[in-house]
Amino acid sequence: MNEVVGRVSRILEENLIFVSLLAIVVFFSLISESFLSLTTLSTLLNQLPALTVVSIGMTLVLISGGIDLSVGSVVALSAGVIGAGIAILGLPLPIAACLGILTGALVGFANGSLGAYLRLPIFIVTLGMLEVSRGLAYIVTDSQTVYLGAKIQSFAVPWAGSGISASILVALTLVVVFEFLLRSTIFGRQIVAVGSNESAAEVAGIDPRRVRCTVLVLSGLLAGLGGLMNAAYLGSADPNAGIGLELSAIAAAVIGGTSLMGGRGSVVGAFVGVLIVSVLQIGLAQIGITEPTKRVITGAVIILAVILDRWRAS
Amino acid sequence: MTSDTRPRPRFAAQGICKSFASPVLRDVDLEISSGHIHGLVGENGAGKSTLAKIFVGLERADSGSLRLDGKPYRPINAADSLGAGVAICAQELSLVDDLSVAENILLQTSTSSLARIRRKFAEERALKLLDLVGLEHLTPRTLVGLLSLAEKQLVEIAKTFATEAKLLILDEPTSALTAPQAEVLHRILRDKASDGATVIYISHRLRDVLSVCDRASVLRDGQVRLTADCGELSEQRLIHEMAGADADFEATPRSSVSPAPLHLTVEGLRTSNLPYAISFNCRRGEILGIAGLAGSGRTELLNAVFGLDKRVAGSVKIHDKDGTAETRSPWQSIRCGIGMVTEDRSKDGIFRDQALAFNVTIAGLGQISDRSGRLVHSKETSAVARLTRALRVRSHGIHQKMRELSGGNQQKSMLARWLHCGSQLLLLDEPTRGVDVTAKLAIHAELVRLRDSGVTVIAVSSELEELQSLCDRILVLSNRKLVGEFHRRDWSQQKILAAAFSEYDRDIEPSSVSIL
Repeated sequence: MNEVVGRVSRILEENLIFVSLLAIVVFFSLISESFLSLTTLSTLLNQLPALTVVSIGMTLVLISGGIDLSVGSVVALSAGVIGAGIAILGLPLPIAACLGILTGALVGFANGSLGAYLRLPIFIVTLGMLEVSRGLAYIVTDSQTVYLGAKIQSFAVPWAGSGISASILVALTLVVVFEFLLRSTIFGRQIVAVGSNESAAEVAGIDPRRVRCTVLVLSGLLAGLGGLMNAAYLGSADPNAGIGLELSAIAAAVIGGTSLMGGRGSVVGAFVGVLIVSVLQIGLAQIGITEPTKRVITGAVIILAVILDRWRAS
Repeated sequence: MTSDTRPRPRFAAQGICKSFASPVLRDVDLEISSGHIHGLVGENGAGKSTLAKIFVGLERADSGSLRLDGKPYRPINAADSLGAGVAICAQELSLVDDLSVAENILLQTSTSSLARIRRKFAEERALKLLDLVGLEHLTPRTLVGLLSLAEKQLVEIAKTFATEAKLLILDEPTSALTAPQAEVLHRILRDKASDGATVIYISHRLRDVLSVCDRASVLRDGQVRLTADCGELSEQRLIHEMAGADADFEATPRSSVSPAPLHLTVEGLRTSNLPYAISFNCRRGEILGIAGLAGSGRTELLNAVFGLDKRVAGSVKIHDKDGTAETRSPWQSIRCGIGMVTEDRSKDGIFRDQALAFNVTIAGLGQISDRSGRLVHSKETSAVARLTRALRVRSHGIHQKMRELSGGNQQKSMLARWLHCGSQLLLLDEPTRGVDVTAKLAIHAELVRLRDSGVTVIAVSSELEELQSLCDRILVLSNRKLVGEFHRRDWSQQKILAAAFSEYDRDIEPSSVSIL
């Protein structure tokens, strides 16, 4: 009997975030009758894609020992480029979408070159790029929300009856792909190595600058994709999109067990982190908690997650 | 109260037990008299450092008790033990690179965290302490990050002395020091002891322990096997107790070196740390030693060959059956079959928070992946299991975190990393530093075995005996110049030492120079 208890508690401990997510879902289902419904699920899924892909990039950057504060603005810039491409230049949607994603990658490349190769502090570089990208987003959209219509929305609108959109499918696929990249490829090992001990990584034949730069490019690229998802969700390019998204992404990564010191983390964990934050938001709204209180609770949950993580590690 | 004829011990530990995953300390008793220097020796993993940490509250014993001056002593953290007059100079340096020497030395002595450190006072104190430990050439305002490893260790020691504790615990205080630097430390310790301080001295250097300590205890597998006055002990006896068997302390006999093809050519090599061009070469299957005083450019030379330091001039060429290749960066070097074990394992050797397997395979991920860059985990498991078994790396399995392994096992797994890569030329900087006698012998045996299988080794060591027993040829650096080359048939300790000192006579006073 004791043995069974021990094994169950170990399994619970190893899958702490999944258990937490389940606990939150059960909690809200018990208090609110309308929580466990298809509408909730659909609202949730539709909100997720942009934050999910941005959190994937953030997780990789954090594991490599860096940080990327520019992603929220890059989402707006990418959406702005897509909007301007379609509305002003009259480009077809696929080309405009590619341009938006490419813009994100370019910002990531700028972050990477300045941070990794010129050895500027990455916190400051990406903070600067947060402003630069936001400014550029206003410039390309002329500070207006650009309406894009139904065509782009088809990417985010759930397929009839299924509740699943192309957006969310892409995001989920990327979670799996990047978790695989991290766990089971040479490049994934190199990211962990650089974040764990940069000088030791260099002695082991890894070029830390290349690795750091590459993850920042990936983060920019994924934020660019996040811009497309955001524009599709809204049906418009909003230069005010994604404000504070970088902080939500960091929170999701940390809740999912990623270390801000580098060298440890998980993409799937970050996705569960996204789910926890989103479920919390929706659940709290449904039981009538006001916006300010919601923020207090969300903040407390982030801190609680770090405390639990530390306790689990020791 | 009845009077006891024996003096009451200054410090006593009774029945100390401690387990992490497995028992580390088992029922340890220790009594140390006032004014004594007490040596503590044992293999890596025997439990010495854990015991020291328990003495200053950095670890908590599972059971057992401590007494200080006859009163119960239960430190809950380092500050608490300092308050009771017990200070430790830990094996892992605890200096802050971005602070000055003075700030580092006085970091733990400021009575309250709010107390403003009075700079002038602090610097005067620091200056005195620097003089004491033989670092008079440093100024208190020097940033610690700019110091060499040996200087850092001396600063760490000065920091311990600054506490003016009555019980000092020194854990491997001389691992990075040269013999004269260590001698300075030993003199200070004897002075402190005659002033009534009590010292616990943990070291792998048995000769040092026998010469500096009054009594010594041997730990093996977490138990005290022997405590005796040093007058009654010998090196052989200590080794016997540590290893549990007579260890072979003789140098392995060399097989004769037949003329082998050139493996490495270094021509006119210069970096910002090596201002004078250095040229030498190395034949396949040779063990080449690099000797010199601390700071003579030994580490810098290995770094330059490996491509870690940017080259100003010169070239490094590797010759193998496919021809000649020039290398400029660590990744090119590794591709050409060079492997490097650095001097400061925790700084740029191991990934301490990652698994043993991660540490072994990180430089040779190509060996355990398919063509698309996908890792094959089963290949990794079997490769790491095979290597750790061959090198006798002691662990709880290949997924154990590197930080939980003892120093000797960490060092062996660094060798395993390059064996996994199939490296043909190993650059080893102090390969047996901070490693116990049996691990040291195992590493030596492994190097000889590698040499016999055609691997070339270039080793830097501060222990001339080690180089002489291991190498076929020794290069000597002095003040960043390559000043001599000695072959086995014509070398002597005196000749090598004379060469090592040759470039210092003019511009540096002898006090700041240290012997091998």
